[in-house]
Amino acid sequence: MERRTFLASLSAAAAVASRVPLKATEGPDSGRITLLHTNDTHSRIEPFGPGNGAISGKGGMARRATLVKQLRGQLGSILLLDAGDTFQGTPYFNRYKGRLDYQLMRMIGYDATTLGNHDFDNGVGMLVEAIESMEQLKHRNPPFAFLNCNFDCKGAPALAKRVRPYLVRDFPGVRVGITGVGVAFAGLVASKNHEGISWNDPYESLKPVVKRLREVEKVDLVVVLSHLGYDNKDGAPDDLRMPGQVAGIDAIIGGHSHTFLDAPVKVKQAQGETLVFQVGFGGVNLGRMDFALARGEVKAASGAAMPVVG
Amino acid sequence: MKLKPCNAFFFASLLSLHLVAQPPVTKAEVIPITEAIADDPEVQKVIEPLAAEIKATFGQPLVQAPQGVFRGRRGEENLLGYWVSDVMRHAAQPLVGVPVRFAITNAGGLRANLRPGQIKVGDIFELMPFENELVVVELTGAEVIQVVKEGLLRRGGEPCSGVKVKVEGTPQQATLTVTWEDGSAIDPSAVVKVATTDYLYAGGDSIPTLKKGRKPFTTGVTLRQMLLDQCTAIGKAGKELLPPAPGRYVVPASIQEAIRDKTFKL
Repeated sequence: MERRTFLASLSAAAAVASRVPLKATEGPDSGRITLLHTNDTHSRIEPFGPGNGAISGKGGMARRATLVKQLRGQLGSILLLDAGDTFQGTPYFNRYKGRLDYQLMRMIGYDATTLGNHDFDNGVGMLVEAIESMEQLKHRNPPFAFLNCNFDCKGAPALAKRVRPYLVRDFPGVRVGITGVGVAFAGLVASKNHEGISWNDPYESLKPVVKRLREVEKVDLVVVLSHLGYDNKDGAPDDLRMPGQVAGIDAIIGGHSHTFLDAPVKVKQAQGETLVFQVGFGGVNLGRMDFALARGEVKAASGAAMPVVG
Repeated sequence: MKLKPCNAFFFASLLSLHLVAQPPVTKAEVIPITEAIADDPEVQKVIEPLAAEIKATFGQPLVQAPQGVFRGRRGEENLLGYWVSDVMRHAAQPLVGVPVRFAITNAGGLRANLRPGQIKVGDIFELMPFENELVVVELTGAEVIQVVKEGLLRRGGEPCSGVKVKVEGTPQQATLTVTWEDGSAIDPSAVVKVATTDYLYAGGDSIPTLKKGRKPFTTGVTLRQMLLDQCTAIGKAGKELLPPAPGRYVVPASIQEAIRDKTFKL
């Protein structure tokens, strides 16, 4: 299919979707939520320039802001999420040390992100400074959350008070719990850059958090922001194997492996299915997953990657 | 990207949502369908002046290179590649805390010469537009020799640092000698640290033995940043950027030709 035709139909689909939502008309027991997401944006503030093959001219944070705004207007219940590695990749990072990335993410209206290995590239101190600059920005959108449950940040108190294991958000008919996991530092992050932070097994760290979200927080939908990678051939924990190891996850928003998926992959788990998704890198695509729930149970789930083109 | 299945999936998904939801009929509303996504004015207003600033930094002078540093024409050594691999090796050492004996990059990744005169930030971006990162791995001495050999057979010798390479004889009957840069023999069983790029380590440019590298350490530092830092340091020290000495690859012209013709075997 021609790109032009595809895009037109995709926009049409987005428009049709906006007619489907249940919102208040559906009754208190039902609802729907759309997860919009990015991963590994790597300081790609501007669209990719020419000479980058298939991704030339794609991406850009100003366009992403427009797309999110359009979808927010159409769909209502939206969470805007990211799976880490916001830092490193363009001169913007060298110059603004990640502060610009986080500030723009707040302006676009992100709800939460997690920490990838490259977010530690300038050390914990600079990471905290970038988060602080985002928190101090004067903007109508609230600061977004940093979610991780497998880093022990006790030795880095300034970061520890800004990273929480999970977040719960209420929407009409849907209560959503979000958590995050990060990749092991060994071989990826120099030890001086993660001083005071130790890494724990992500599956083992997730189990009690998912249980708490389900049983104590009584959420209807559990979302994991994962910077582990899609399919690790070396046996390291990854997104495809997570549903089999940790029961009760509805959606995994992945990163790290820069995997371009056109649509989420459905993976069987003890309590049904988990949607595993990842949208490449650099903000080339915006991921979208829709969930329709009735009486706290997922009744339908699907999604697609939306190209960010100008 | 496969667009068609994605699109089909999208509509299927909407159908399934529709069936479950069975929403009451809502009032139709015209939503404009445009393929291009416009820039959000609020976000673009923040980015614009910063983009101008970033572009201005491309003109910033770093260091004088009176002779320039060139990749070399056919039959000449790739001194630019030698310089890049030297920078990689020396930048890797403090990151891993132990000596790095060998570094290798790919000639194909160096996209422009450094022309004689003032070297600016933009020149380094032209030379290295990619976001490739420095990776440090462990190889045995025998594997280092094999890596050199693979680069030689494929491209007549990929730029490297820390070794000297000599091919003698004729295209029909040649011998390869690889030593450390001081001429000492490479112990085939010794384990050494090797600096390379994430691209080559992942199997790019057909140096398969690099993929065997053990204990990979991804530094998170791009090659470009390393080159920028090195030029800044030389410039600040009031020195000039000069090409490294030739003589790392000594290959007879007849064998170079046979390599290009893909008729050479070792």
